[in-house]
Amino acid sequence: MNNKVILKMEGMCQAFPGVQALEEVGLEVYKGEVLGLVGKNGAGKSTLVRILMGLQTPDAGTITIDGKSYERMASSAALQAGVAYVPQIVNVMDSLSVAENILAGDMPVSRLGLVDWKEVYREAESRLARLGLNLDVRKPAEGLKVAEKTMLAIAKALFGDTKLIILDECTAPLPHADIELLFDFIKSLEGQGVAFIYISHHLEEVFEICDRVTVLRDGLGAGTYQVADLDMDKLAHLIAGEDVKEYERFASAIKDRPVLKIEGLTRRGSYEDIDLVLHEGEVVGLSGLQGCGAEDLAAGLFGMERRGVGSVTINGRPLTARNPKEAFSQGLALLPQDRNKYGMVGLRPVRENVTYTVLDRIRNFLGVIWRKKEESIVDGYIESLGIKTPSREELVRQLSGGNQQKVVFAKLAAVGPSVLVLHEPTTGVDIRAKQDIFKIVDDLASKGSAILVISSKAREQAGICDRVIVMYKGRIVKEFHKGDSGMTPENIVRAIEGEGYDE
Amino acid sequence: MNRKRLDYRTFVLDRLIWFIIILVFVFFSIFAHQFLSTTNMINLLLHTSVLGLLVLGQATCLLSGNFDLSAEGTVTLLTVLAAWLMGSATAGAGANSFDSGSGWGLNPVLVIFIIMFLGAGIGWLNGQMIARLRMNNFIVTLAMQLTLRGLALTLCLGRNIASIPEVFRYLGTGKVGPIPVQVIVTLLFVAVFYYYYKVSSFGRALYATGGNPRASYASGFNPGKTVIKAYMISGFLAAIAGWMLLGGVGESGPELGVGLTLETVAAAVIGGIALSGGRGTILGAFAGVLLLSVVGNGLNVMDMHPNAVRAVRGLIILMALIIEAQKVRYKPKLVR
Repeated sequence: MNNKVILKMEGMCQAFPGVQALEEVGLEVYKGEVLGLVGKNGAGKSTLVRILMGLQTPDAGTITIDGKSYERMASSAALQAGVAYVPQIVNVMDSLSVAENILAGDMPVSRLGLVDWKEVYREAESRLARLGLNLDVRKPAEGLKVAEKTMLAIAKALFGDTKLIILDECTAPLPHADIELLFDFIKSLEGQGVAFIYISHHLEEVFEICDRVTVLRDGLGAGTYQVADLDMDKLAHLIAGEDVKEYERFASAIKDRPVLKIEGLTRRGSYEDIDLVLHEGEVVGLSGLQGCGAEDLAAGLFGMERRGVGSVTINGRPLTARNPKEAFSQGLALLPQDRNKYGMVGLRPVRENVTYTVLDRIRNFLGVIWRKKEESIVDGYIESLGIKTPSREELVRQLSGGNQQKVVFAKLAAVGPSVLVLHEPTTGVDIRAKQDIFKIVDDLASKGSAILVISSKAREQAGICDRVIVMYKGRIVKEFHKGDSGMTPENIVRAIEGEGYDE
Repeated sequence: MNRKRLDYRTFVLDRLIWFIIILVFVFFSIFAHQFLSTTNMINLLLHTSVLGLLVLGQATCLLSGNFDLSAEGTVTLLTVLAAWLMGSATAGAGANSFDSGSGWGLNPVLVIFIIMFLGAGIGWLNGQMIARLRMNNFIVTLAMQLTLRGLALTLCLGRNIASIPEVFRYLGTGKVGPIPVQVIVTLLFVAVFYYYYKVSSFGRALYATGGNPRASYASGFNPGKTVIKAYMISGFLAAIAGWMLLGGVGESGPELGVGLTLETVAAAVIGGIALSGGRGTILGAFAGVLLLSVVGNGLNVMDMHPNAVRAVRGLIILMALIIEAQKVRYKPKLVR
């Protein structure tokens, strides 16, 4: 490997309200290598990349690209310095040909001022050939596979003066065969001296393609390692961490009475043959990669999407809800992952957000809401969930992430659901608020709700759940029980990655 | 943190319109003779009443996140239709008679019910196309406006019908003491709607739908139904506004109502209703109407040329948009 340093980031710090997203994080990328960047959601990967691309101004730290130092990047400076970012889903101009996509903005022109198409195709072909990429330049780009679009984006970046390419979860949407295709391409470029930062949740891929790997954990650097010195266990352990105090569920008040019963539930393309029983007072974790079917299952149960065939009962009564309103009345509530999109109406005050789900119960025949009753409900939840807000009239968008999440919890708890499905309940929530939220989950369970926590955060799952169920490619593949020695974050991570279940 | 300062700023910006109205009012009281005269004050109120009713409907739709450009078409068609239905072909029936119509001479009260029903029905149709068929609200209601006006022109064949029964005209011409009935009715509507949207579950649904339709759905609301109801309210109010207008003018014609829609959108925006939905109040929208009316009336009294008055009103709308843009700029960022 060539030892020339292309990129060096040192002492990067970044705080957001309520969260220290990065604290003294650094990394180095050498010429002609692939550096893996791994960590859980919220570990700081994307913040680091946003800083590098000039989309975010760091609180402290220096960036050195090819010997030149920057205190902060402007987004144009990042591109000029030779750093390119390739997102998970690449935006290409679908209706234009591959050649036009490659040469956009710099089209060869004939003497008459018209586009010289012969030259366009010749030039595009020769550029692709230099990179060893074989695409039909005359075809419209919309006919390309997702992997080919990603490669096209990489190629396009390289035609400029790009030295470093950031690949962000680029294999997530790809079928297996195409991943190989993409990896071959990346490896061939590595030989030509291009450097990559490779961000991924799929640890197997890190071993397949990366030379070194930098691990982030809760905004702190957890070290950089030669991939050759690591194995799956060690890496999983580094990612999950052990020095962070995690929540331990204590109040296990599980009763034998089943609340939610799912039998043979199948929706083709999403999940297959799901059997699941949740008991009163039980907290069950459901883990898996993005696209493993867990999210679809949640949306299906809540009536946001089709549920598929199979039987689902709550307290013995079949669940037939076709929309969220009916789901609430049949005893099931869902906390959505994307709080800003689905969880709250940020423009409205805390008071209104909390009672959205129970307006039916606190209004008279004219639809006028009993203010006193409403206020007592809202004050009750502000008190019991510890929502930090100047008043119940504060707009929800003014609150911190953790308190916003508590408002959403309050809204759902008000329904008094038998089954509560939580989708990544700690997204965008700082560590202290996280503890509060786990406490809330605990309390709700001890009051008799059955709780299903959908999350890929293995350590949290191991801490708060009585059982953890792992889904892979639409099926339930593994179940861990609290108290078993096997229920460790590392084992859960490995099951999530599909170890032993591929193909 | 500078959140306190930002809140203070939004507080002032949110109530700015009332300060401006008072300022403008004082200005005209001093510099325009006759501005404070009883006649002129009543004139001013008359001008706000039809527009005030229509702005309630417009604001309702805007709060749900949709435009209603069809309201003026509804006014035009329903006034022509009402006059036509009530027309008795007796007085010198003939092709060019001003008094002709259907010849049925329908009972005015019945006609009032018919146009209210039709107004809500037009709104229902708008709502169905927008909420159920997912068509673009701007284009749907614009097309509806053109269609309704076309129908109105077809129906009246370019003739005006002036034989409007007194019973029907009471809303537009009646007075309680010195105060016109229509002013009282409009103020009542404003008060009721303002209060109702504040305290009712429909109000909640309306604001939630406009503020974040997906979250409102996931919270158990039915955004589609809410949008349909908003349009039905707008159509219903347009029918009453038409009744009021026809009663006051006393003669139907294809020009009645033309140009009112954009005034209501402008007034709503001036009054702090966000075009993106979910923000603003009914009272604010009505304040927008007041401001436009006070300025128009005051400049009129000062003998400014009508065309110049138009320009000034246009400038006010631009000013309102500038203020609105400031609000967005100073909106605190979402906490991540």
